[in-house]
Order: sequence, then structure tokens, then C-alpha cells
Amino acid sequence: MDKPEFYQRLAAILDIEEVKPENVLKDYEQWDSLAILSVLAMADSQYGVTIRADEIRQVVTAGDLAALVEAKPK
Amino acid sequence: MKSIFKHRKISAVVAVVPKEEYRFDDEYPIFKLTADKAKRFKKMMSLDRHRIAPPNVCSSDLCQYGLQHLLSEGTLKKEEIGALIFVSQTPDYIMPPTSNVIQGKLGLGREMICLDINQGCSGFLLGLIQAFVLLEIAALPKVVLLNGDTCSKQTDKCNRISYPLTGDAGSVTVIERCKTENPIYMDVKNDGSRHKAIMIPAGGYRTPSTPETLKLREVEEGVVLNQEHVHMDGPAIFSFTMEDVPPQIDEILAFSGDTRESIEQFLFHQPNPFILKQMADKMKIPPEKLPNNVVSLYGNCSSVTIPLNIALNCSEPVLRNSPRVCLSGFGVGLSWISMVMNLGPLDVCKIVEYEST
Repeated sequence: MDKPEFYQRLAAILDIEEVKPENVLKDYEQWDSLAILSVLAMADSQYGVTIRADEIRQVVTAGDLAALVEAKPK
Repeated sequence: MKSIFKHRKISAVVAVVPKEEYRFDDEYPIFKLTADKAKRFKKMMSLDRHRIAPPNVCSSDLCQYGLQHLLSEGTLKKEEIGALIFVSQTPDYIMPPTSNVIQGKLGLGREMICLDINQGCSGFLLGLIQAFVLLEIAALPKVVLLNGDTCSKQTDKCNRISYPLTGDAGSVTVIERCKTENPIYMDVKNDGSRHKAIMIPAGGYRTPSTPETLKLREVEEGVVLNQEHVHMDGPAIFSFTMEDVPPQIDEILAFSGDTRESIEQFLFHQPNPFILKQMADKMKIPPEKLPNNVVSLYGNCSSVTIPLNIALNCSEPVLRNSPRVCLSGFGVGLSWISMVMNLGPLDVCKIVEYEST
């Protein structure tokens, strides 16, 4: 997985310039249920993986999210 | 579960929408959204407008209006109705069944079956199955399927996510026997282990209504709910629509001997434009074959989205010919049902506006 590209896509969803792996997603005002839905859609259409409800709830940082998408079988 | 119905056809579809139309651009200040946030949400969900019934109008009023319309037009006669099915999650009363109330108000004959069904997203197709089955035993030649939901009463007006996507509507579908074989293919699946993904937690007998269940809580910024409103587990619903529905479409096409090319229109339930587009892309169905405009123009009106979709996007072809269509409804239950059939030529296929008297 191209990590910089993934963080760029995440930044676009959050409508900000840049996201770093250590950034805590909940700290962003934009991290709401619509942003989560956009992330699930992005993971599905760009990376061919389906993230489950319980998995997305455990994610804390942007790095956790990248790792989750990367670890999923395609 | 797969099955085939024969010697059955749909002969009329009338969708009924309230006259009252509200535009997102006018409404968004209610949700306390900044202009910037509203713009992003509008773009993501292709929001434009929706129809909301006045507080005193029930889903049965919308359905009754449509049925009365067909009766006064003369395309349907009271003496032909062998069963009246009312599919809704917003009935008039807990008892008696709303189908009985409508039967009485319209003065229909006694020699018939009245049946209420509690189902939402897959409710049009579940109602069709019931209609096909009842035609086997009904003494009279036609079955009337009513779908009605006033979903706006199950959410808070200030809920910035669910309210703009919600719509109220009703529909009347007439089903009858036909001489030609006209095979209709169906596949039904249910998974009640995930019933909490879409639910109204209180107000029934498990958790009766109390002042506590009516207390509004803000679950995230701008998302206010009480226990008698619809609760949705967004991520769970998303994975359901991406993982469970597309394989069913593949299955039903294989079962009916069809391909994405042989189907002229995929007329699906429309929860919201974002999720439906994602699903269509995943299934590799081109957008021109899968209309996705019901929520932008009317709002998500639960089991009425499919008949409204037919009347909005397909009335010309189904009035003149009998295009091969794939219908699919998926959601609350969780329940997902798909069908393949030749739809038409119908006697009537239209949208009418309800006016309160």
C-alpha cells in the first residue's frame, strides 16, 4: 500500500492539508459519522477491503487506520 | 431462499408524495451547520430537497389517497380486490391493523383478506411476495399492495444527518393473475442476528414509552436522538450493503439466466445516494442503468423508494413495453430481497401529490 497516498486521501476526507500517522482522529472536528462512512467507502473502492463496524471503533490514530487497511486480506 | 412465481403480474403502480417540499439550502440553518459544512454534506449526499407530510398526516392517508385515485379513475374496481396488504413501520395504531382501517374507510367488500406487514427497506418486495401468494387463494382477482411510511416522524427535525435524507411517501401497487407464464424470480435472505443495526429501541412492549425514552440526547455534534427515533449503526449498515447485497444480485441474475447486459433497469431501494453509488460501482452496473435520484428529490421513504423509483424513472418504458428489470430492497431486519421480472405493460404508472383536505 502506498502510505503517503493513503494519508493524502484521508486528509482530503477531513478537508485538511496533511495527516500524520500519529494524529488522533477524534481530535479533528470533522471526524464524524460522515467522515467514517467516507473512510469505509475509500477503503472499499481504493483498496478493495471492507472494514467492519467493531474494527473502525477501535481505531485511534491515522496510523492505526492505515495499518488496519493494510493488514486486511484483499 | 430462491423461488419462481408464475402467472402473476403487476398492473399498476401509483406513488403518492405530500405536496410539502423542503429544500436543504433553506433548511440547513436548523441543523446549526456552517455554510461550509453544509456544502460538503450536500455534495457528499447529493442533497437537494425532500417531501415531508404535515404532522397530522399518516402513511395510511397517503396510501388511501392513491387507492382512491385508482378507484375514481376506474382502473381498479372495489369488487375486484381480494386482499389488501399494508406494509409500513408507521401504522395508525398498535391495534387494529391499518389495512382494516383503510378497508373500512373506503367501504371495500367483506370477502377479502386484510394484512399488515412490519417491514421497511425490503418491504415492497416482501409485500409483492405476499401478494403473489395470496392470489392463489383470494376469491377476487386482484391484490392491492400499499406501502407507506412517514419516516420524518421517526427522527428529530434538528438531526443534521438523518432528517435531510428522510422523506414521507406512500404507494399503491396492483397485482393480478395473468394468462402468460411470466416467470418472476426471487431471492430472499434474512439475518436477524444483526437486527440492532437499524432499530427504534423504545416505544414497543420490550421497552415501553416513558418520559425517559423521549429525552433527546446529542450522540455527536448536531446528531440528536431519543430512544423512539431510528438508530442506525452506520459502519455496520455500510458493510452489509457492500458485502451481502452485491452477491445476492449475482445470485439472482444467475438464477434467472440474466446478465448485467440483459437487464434494462436495476430499480433498487435508495437509502442515500452515497451508499447506492458505492454499491453500483462495486457491482459494476453503469449509472444509467441504476437510477439514484429518489433521495435527492423526495428523501428516503423506506419501503416506498422502489415504487417511487419505478414511477419516477421508468414510467414510459413500463407503460408501453415490458422491460426486464432487477428490483432489490435491503436494510432493516436485516433483510435483503431481490427479484428479476418483465415489468409491464402497466395500466397506470405515475406519481400523484397528496393534498390534505
